[in-house]
Amino acid sequence: MNFLVRLRYEFEASLAIAKRFMRIYYGRPGTIMFGLMFPIFMFLSFAVGRRVPISMLISSLTTMTLLFSSSSIGPMILPMERRFKTIERLLVAPISFYSILIGIIFCSMVYSISVSMIPIIIGLTIIKIEITNIVFLIIGIFCSAICFASLGMMFASYPTEYPGNVTMALNFVRLPLLFISGIFIPIEMLPEWQKTIAFFSPLSYSNDIIRYSLMGKSYFNPVIDTVFLLLFTIIFLIAGVKINLIFSDSTHRKKKNLHKK
Amino acid sequence: MKYAIESLGLTKYYGRLLAVDNVNFNVAEKEIFGFLGPNGAGKTTTIRMLTGLTRPTKGTARIFGHDILRETLIAQKFFGVVPETSNIYDYLSVWDNLMFMGELYRVPKYERVKYGRELLEIFDLYDRRHDKVKTFSKGLKRRLTIAMALIHRPKLLFLDEPTSGLDVRSTVVIRNIIRKLNREGVTIFLTTHNIEEANILCDRVAIIYKGKIVAINTPEKLKATVKSVQSIVVAFDKFSDNIIKELENIPMIHTVRKEGDKIRIYTSNPPETLEILFNYAKEKDMKIISINTLSPSLEDVFLRLTEGG
Repeated sequence: MNFLVRLRYEFEASLAIAKRFMRIYYGRPGTIMFGLMFPIFMFLSFAVGRRVPISMLISSLTTMTLLFSSSSIGPMILPMERRFKTIERLLVAPISFYSILIGIIFCSMVYSISVSMIPIIIGLTIIKIEITNIVFLIIGIFCSAICFASLGMMFASYPTEYPGNVTMALNFVRLPLLFISGIFIPIEMLPEWQKTIAFFSPLSYSNDIIRYSLMGKSYFNPVIDTVFLLLFTIIFLIAGVKINLIFSDSTHRKKKNLHKK
Repeated sequence: MKYAIESLGLTKYYGRLLAVDNVNFNVAEKEIFGFLGPNGAGKTTTIRMLTGLTRPTKGTARIFGHDILRETLIAQKFFGVVPETSNIYDYLSVWDNLMFMGELYRVPKYERVKYGRELLEIFDLYDRRHDKVKTFSKGLKRRLTIAMALIHRPKLLFLDEPTSGLDVRSTVVIRNIIRKLNREGVTIFLTTHNIEEANILCDRVAIIYKGKIVAINTPEKLKATVKSVQSIVVAFDKFSDNIIKELENIPMIHTVRKEGDKIRIYTSNPPETLEILFNYAKEKDMKIISINTLSPSLEDVFLRLTEGG
């Protein structure tokens, strides 16, 4: 089979999976709690009473929303799919295992991008902030969504049937990231040792590019932010696939000569 | 001869536990092949290896000539799978579940809508196509699971315990559908621990015990292998546990088993046993309500092979 035709098939399968997962999982309490309510409460608990520019609050809220919403969908879907054995329906269908994972990432991204629009629309219409660079805002939102969706997928690859197990482990990473990535205190104001740690956090680059798009200020550089977000995405994807393959018992691990005919 | 399934030394270890041990068999096209075994014998593990869900430790399988390990995606196009648990999306409607499967198998939209409607009519689910599956009974879920496995018109259908836990009506509906599919040319691979089901549905059966195939043949030929085990089913007008104890003491009787309001007696000499039973009833002042001699059933074969019974 022609490579491009196969790619089209796999892409269509990923879209079909994403579309169905949106209908099944978007309304789940866990998704609403961790993807929507959690970033808002986190934001309010740190923002209320602090004297910071409103545009910074909006950029921080947007970044936090992207992190939590995007990384919460995979940890909801994969364990539930395992628990109800519906994942096996997908595994016996003639589609690549990667299409399933990409479908979950699509599903996470659509949710995340939609939810992250809320603070931006509130900022634009009610608070009257201005977007300084629409191109980097779009790139920033897209790259952050895919990066954090991959992070969530990586954690969800551990073969548990309980979303709570994944979310708990994920929060051990997500919550500390908030404090070292310039969300509440800009990176330039952090002590040197924290600046060093911030370099290793994908959230730093996400926050930086969104901040640049909304405030015109950047610590790194929006291009560097984009490159690092994509780099982290690749790392998370590879790690996620590896973890899945280590624990997977299906023959997808050894698939060769796929779609030969 | 072209085979739908060729199992070539399938072996599966879970840690140190040998779940399936060098299983070899072929299933011809358009055959209904039963895979019998007690719980934990390795039936589901075998079906999982045949469908690509579980990687064999050793050996492989071919589906219509395509190696399940090396050509997984090609092989998977040929079959549909009905797992033991109805793994349907409860929060989607009947129609959405069906169409989702059609999309995964790349059935063109026009075809999946047309055939989807036909399938729901066959399975008597068309009027409930907009209902969410979470409200469905086990029988209805089972029917939908089978319909979903058929949306891409597979040439081979794997059914893992298709009627397990269903009421009589649903069981009959599903058995009729299996027969109809087979008449239309679909090869059926059926795992079950319901011996009677295998007896009435299957062209051939394989019996797996402790991970090994212990017999493989047509139901009638398998029954012929245990001709020595014949039985008499008798119903007296009275019943007490003493009757069983007393009958067990008669030399030519091997085993006595209570079956509902009847007693089943296994013997190597039915004529003499009949005579003994009539005398016994007379002696105990009991009436015989019914009495039948039975040739060995597939269940007898199964028990003989799996328990040495």
